[in-house]
Amino acid sequence: MEKLFIEATQYTPEISLDLNGTISMVGKSYPENTFEFYKPIMSWLEEYFEKNKSNTITVNLEIIYFNSSSSKLFFDLFDMLDENRTGREMNVNWIYDEENESAEEAGEDFIEDFEDLNINLVKK
Amino acid sequence: MNVKKLENILKEDGIVFLTYGGFLTQSLIAGMTEALEKESEDQNLGLSEANNLFTIFIELSQNMMNYSKSKKEINESFDPKGLIMVGKTENNEYYVFSQNILDKSDQSKIVPKLEEIKGMQIDDIKKRYRELRKSGKDSHGKGAGIGFYEIAKRCKNIEYSFEDINDTKRYFQFRAVIK
Repeated sequence: MEKLFIEATQYTPEISLDLNGTISMVGKSYPENTFEFYKPIMSWLEEYFEKNKSNTITVNLEIIYFNSSSSKLFFDLFDMLDENRTGREMNVNWIYDEENESAEEAGEDFIEDFEDLNINLVKK
Repeated sequence: MNVKKLENILKEDGIVFLTYGGFLTQSLIAGMTEALEKESEDQNLGLSEANNLFTIFIELSQNMMNYSKSKKEINESFDPKGLIMVGKTENNEYYVFSQNILDKSDQSKIVPKLEEIKGMQIDDIKKRYRELRKSGKDSHGKGAGIGFYEIAKRCKNIEYSFEDINDTKRYFQFRAVIK
């Protein structure tokens, strides 16, 4: 497996998936075909979790604004993280600007939807 | 062509920008969203309001783009004459307006959803949004089927109407005032 890095575009975030277990996504997310765009990322993570059962995972998500299919995609991502959290330390940081109420609310919703996942709201 | 006339209409109606005709593409949508970002910086719009504006604009324009593509894929004749515009109300609130042509059969799919939303309080809309996102019940190839709920979460009110073109086609008009 190799580190995966995808540069940001006007409508997709910068994505970095590191073999040390640090996962970051920073930017905007409204691809034309969200599920297709994120497919390589989801596959990478699936393989990573398959091969690494006990290492620490840190997820940093800083998404400024996003379309509804990205919202669903992030839900699926959290679902995958939730399924792979036992037997390891896992921290998810939902990062947002303090004036960005809708981003804060989105983070709060994910916390409620995934009670067992350690999601932290991080104000910038 | 009288451009001045058009300009006056746009000014009078507080229209920030408008696009009409042709196929919407992803790069066009991204370009317009960037223009909206500049507008919101210029007008010192709060981050929340700005993001609600971008999201609603993106939802509506991507809806239109995907709809026209789906028609093209099945080689159905399709009039791409979509219209999307962003403007300001008399109270200086931003709104997004869209109009595109839909099949009559699609009208009957959309109306129950929109009627449900219109009859709901904001907390119920948010709840329903999360339920649908979780179940994936309305998911399809390109989206999660929660776009209208996403819009409703972020606006003060929605209005919509259908206008007959002929036996099978309808104009679909939609307007959301940003929260």
